[in-house]
Amino acid sequence: MSKFDVINSYAPRIDCPDKATGKAIFTDDLSKPGMLYGAMLQSPHAHAKILSIDTSKAKALEGVKAVITSKETGSVKYGVSPARYDETMFATDKVRYVGDEIAAVAATSLEIALNAVALIQVEYEVLPAVLTVEDAMKEGAPQLHEAFTNNLCAEVHQEFGNVEEGFKQCDIIKTTTMKNKRQDGAFIEMQACIAEYDRRGTLTLTTSTQVPHYVQRTVAMVLGMDVGKVRVIKPYVGAGFGIKAAANHQELACCFLARMLKKPVKMNYTREQVFMYGRARHQFSHTITTGAKKDGTLVALKHECYLDGGAYTSFGIATVYYTGSLLAGPYKLPNMSYDGYRVYNNKPACGAQRGHGAVIARAVFEQQMDMIAEEIGMDPLELRIKNMMNTGDTTCNDLNMSSFGMSECIEAVRDGSGWDKKKGNMPKGKGIGMACGFFVSGAGFPIYRSDTFHGTVIVKLTEDGGTALVYTASAEIGQGSDTAFAMIVGEALGIPLENVRLASGDTDMGVDLGAYSSRQTLMTGHAAKEAGEHAKQQVLEVLAEQLDTPLEDMDIKNGCIEFKNQTPDFSALRTRYIKEHRGWTDNPESEKLTFKEASRIAFLEKGSIVGTGKYRPHWLGGKFKGAAVGTSPAYGCSAQVAEVTVDMETGQITIDNIVDAHDCGKAINRNSVEGQMQGSISMGIGETMHEEVIFNDKGQVLNSDLAEYKIVTAMDMPPVKAIVVESDEPNGPYGAKEVGEGAIMPTIPAILNAVYDATGVRMNELPLTPERVYTAIQAYKERSNA
Amino acid sequence: MLLPKFEFYEPTSIQEAIDLKKKYRGKAKLMAGGTDLLVHLKKKLVTADHLISLAKIKELSQVQQAGDTLKIGTCVTMSQLSKSAVIQEKFGAIKTASDNLGTHLIRNRATLGGNVCNASPAGEALPSLIVYQAQVRLQGPEGKRKIPVESFFKGPGKTDIHEGEILVGFQLPLPEKNYGAHYLQLGKRKSSEINVVNVAAFVEINPADQTVKTARIALGSVAATPIRSFHAEDVLTNKAPGEAVFYEAGEAARHKDCQPIDDFRGTAAYRRAMIGVLTKRTLETACKLAMAQ
Ligand SMILES: Cc1cc2nc3c(=O)[nH]c(=O)nc-3n(C[C@H](O)[C@H](O)[C@H](O)COP(=O)(O)OP(=O)(O)OC[C@H]3O[C@@H](n4cnc5c(N)ncnc54)[C@H](O)[C@@H]3O)c2cc1C
Repeated sequence: MSKFDVINSYAPRIDCPDKATGKAIFTDDLSKPGMLYGAMLQSPHAHAKILSIDTSKAKALEGVKAVITSKETGSVKYGVSPARYDETMFATDKVRYVGDEIAAVAATSLEIALNAVALIQVEYEVLPAVLTVEDAMKEGAPQLHEAFTNNLCAEVHQEFGNVEEGFKQCDIIKTTTMKNKRQDGAFIEMQACIAEYDRRGTLTLTTSTQVPHYVQRTVAMVLGMDVGKVRVIKPYVGAGFGIKAAANHQELACCFLARMLKKPVKMNYTREQVFMYGRARHQFSHTITTGAKKDGTLVALKHECYLDGGAYTSFGIATVYYTGSLLAGPYKLPNMSYDGYRVYNNKPACGAQRGHGAVIARAVFEQQMDMIAEEIGMDPLELRIKNMMNTGDTTCNDLNMSSFGMSECIEAVRDGSGWDKKKGNMPKGKGIGMACGFFVSGAGFPIYRSDTFHGTVIVKLTEDGGTALVYTASAEIGQGSDTAFAMIVGEALGIPLENVRLASGDTDMGVDLGAYSSRQTLMTGHAAKEAGEHAKQQVLEVLAEQLDTPLEDMDIKNGCIEFKNQTPDFSALRTRYIKEHRGWTDNPESEKLTFKEASRIAFLEKGSIVGTGKYRPHWLGGKFKGAAVGTSPAYGCSAQVAEVTVDMETGQITIDNIVDAHDCGKAINRNSVEGQMQGSISMGIGETMHEEVIFNDKGQVLNSDLAEYKIVTAMDMPPVKAIVVESDEPNGPYGAKEVGEGAIMPTIPAILNAVYDATGVRMNELPLTPERVYTAIQAYKERSNA
Repeated sequence: MLLPKFEFYEPTSIQEAIDLKKKYRGKAKLMAGGTDLLVHLKKKLVTADHLISLAKIKELSQVQQAGDTLKIGTCVTMSQLSKSAVIQEKFGAIKTASDNLGTHLIRNRATLGGNVCNASPAGEALPSLIVYQAQVRLQGPEGKRKIPVESFFKGPGKTDIHEGEILVGFQLPLPEKNYGAHYLQLGKRKSSEINVVNVAAFVEINPADQTVKTARIALGSVAATPIRSFHAEDVLTNKAPGEAVFYEAGEAARHKDCQPIDDFRGTAAYRRAMIGVLTKRTLETACKLAMAQ
């Protein structure tokens, strides 16, 4: 039995009825009177100088209202992290990837806009392009950005402890390399936006984003406007996975056109443009060396990684840091070094995607754990338990595990999968594998340096007393955050979920950094809880006065007022309430004084009752360079066991089932927690098995559609047993922390370890296409026969 | 990307469709389910000012058994084929192919005729039609003709259809006794796949001595058109079915009959190897089915 009344249950999501019936409004469903349609000209070349742009023919086309290039818009630099603004709305001197934005058109129809785009004449001087990390780093390679020599976007060098000394104490040292492939988030809703500019100078951008707040700031900066004059609204969003966690060119161009023309303008990415825009998971090439003693104690880890960054930085600085910092747990590891390099090249920029920076590093390391276990003859699960950190431990790079249900997770998947019976006893061609992982529960710092609160929430009680209205600028993008915050407010106020109404995703409602780094449940959750409690406090204060009862002796639960001692006579209040409601059908008859009555009385006494809440993490930064990346008030952790069948003749892998246990601190809505676990696994399987953005030698994406970019279908998805572990995070609201990204961490290595168990083959490159697996099996057979 | 503008026609008889096609010639395209055509139009791989839909011509959407032949109208969809009793009973390799094509939504629109006229080397239903010795029925201003489906394909996207002609359907001999057939395809994921390779096999067993009387094997995705694997067929003919023979047939298909290329879906070497495996496996199942009769 849960001690909670609202949270910690399986609640139907509040957006369900609208989504299930197709009534939910997404950006592309909207249109505005007099709306124009925008379209963009994007570079056909991977690398070229722009010699001239002639827009005269496009402008002359009937129905065209404006054509803009950097000449009109200027070239204010922007990007994700202020330390590295390397993008402009439109290319000025040169284009750096196929898809680099050059111009935009607004016209009376999309067809005319597209025709006008085709009429813009650009003279290019095509430059040699570099499309791989290797080529970009060669001496004499074509350079993308003058300011960054050798195409090096960022490098990180860190050492904690003493790795060299550490290796001297080791009996086993394993070095392996691995690379994944560039991903696409493959969210179902392609980016779309509508910008409007009113006669008083307010710009309103309705857009499919994860981060209204950052988009607001970027738009204001690039267009030279006051932040207060820019409002960003996020309707329902069909997912983002990190790709929508920053302003894009389309949003900026759309805003510029709307302001210039004083008319609403709508713009949409096609699926092809989604692929051209990129910003999803990087391609990582890791070399990791792990050293352990023969009893299995981990001693040291040396890590080198090259990130295929693409043409711009996007989230890349954070990525290259995360890639290193998130290997420091969940095992005790005293010595760790990291050398990371993010390299520019003439492909779309990569950015953040679920499990930001850390997923492939985890995949390498968790395989090495299995290799070490095999060599010393230890069960891989026991090896992990042996090295596991404990609650309260801090990693060598200062990440503190304030709650840590990792061992519980391991035990849960051990039981849930029948590991002890199966491991070592799988028939030929079948395998079982496990892995662990952890992830931040909200970045410790905002992307720009600021003392800002990371989230604010307002709870206003309706004046009739019946309902709590929640206003938050946080971003529901399909993950269920609206429901979570409505539940938290319900719990904090002591009223049922059905009496909470919530509006979100609007910068006018407050500050919220948005849906990225798995931050909202913990951070916005705190603010929601505080706002709910604040409103409750105000209601109880009025009651205390009216009933002459000490405030501490009262509480609100399940929509009723609870008195610690004897219930005072509240008949006067009830009579007053009923008088106010002559002719109404819903007058209270319960023995208990209801919240409705109490909050109505509170309004009558004090006017509108508004509770506010806010959250900002305590200072989490370490002392070394880059210490901020990876810090978080809490860390979610998880363990997974995967079972696979490998067709040894074709290389086809079938994932038979996955058992997943995740420590989310406290489940606010169990439906959503399990949903995130399922979704993470589905994304992890896609990346392991078949997702890969493929380019030709001209830098064009060859598979820019969902037929050829192969995400998981229902047929590929195995049965998943999702086990929720709760560790009660001290820094989380009601003990809650993340599940959105951490849950993907063990998926890839669990499958890889299972494939090894089935075949004896270690795969060092993703995805595990039948061909790649077949080739590896053949090579293995040849080696074994030789 | 927007679908370009076109005039749309929905004739209700074959003759009307032929007349329209004659009138607009190269500027008109015939449309069945549109699952290839509309994609190609959108991507500007083809252009058409006029689209002539065949969907309202009732006789083109029927599966009919007449004596010892089966007639399948060109507009019969994959879903229809999957559900058809005679297909399930007598043409298992077509049933499996129809089940495999695209997704539910696509299968509800995608037609057999469209799959054949699109003439993709990887086309789902093509190897099965070949091994069942389907004939293609064509009708045009000059009249009707009938040719084996096997000689209908001339290259990726190219067929033997003449300007002005319409594919009206297929005619397949009903297989008699002691036969079995099977179809297998291989892709990167479990559904909605574009085949890396696909193979169909038809086997007839001589009941007297349980040897293979006839074998027909067709390979997809390993040449400019789907092709017969004559060497593999020779390996089987007059032999008692068994693992070694299937393997040998697979190796013959792999090394002698296929001419795959490298592309981003797979290398030639892998395609070859998989032709070996899939040929072996389709034969195994086809023979098992044949001997069970
Ligand atoms: C998401 C998706 C998944 C797919 N998956 C697969 C798959 O797994 N396997 C596969 O093989 N294919 C697949 N396809 C391709 C396509 O669905 C099939 O080739 C389908 O059978 C085409 O049939 P249709 O009726 O839609 O053809 P249409 O698009 O209507 O026509 C295809 C071509 O044939 C011509 N044509 C059609 N009918 C006639 C006729 N009677 N006479 C003369 N010419 C004619 C048209 O002019 C056009 O050139 C997929 C397509 C999509 C969009």
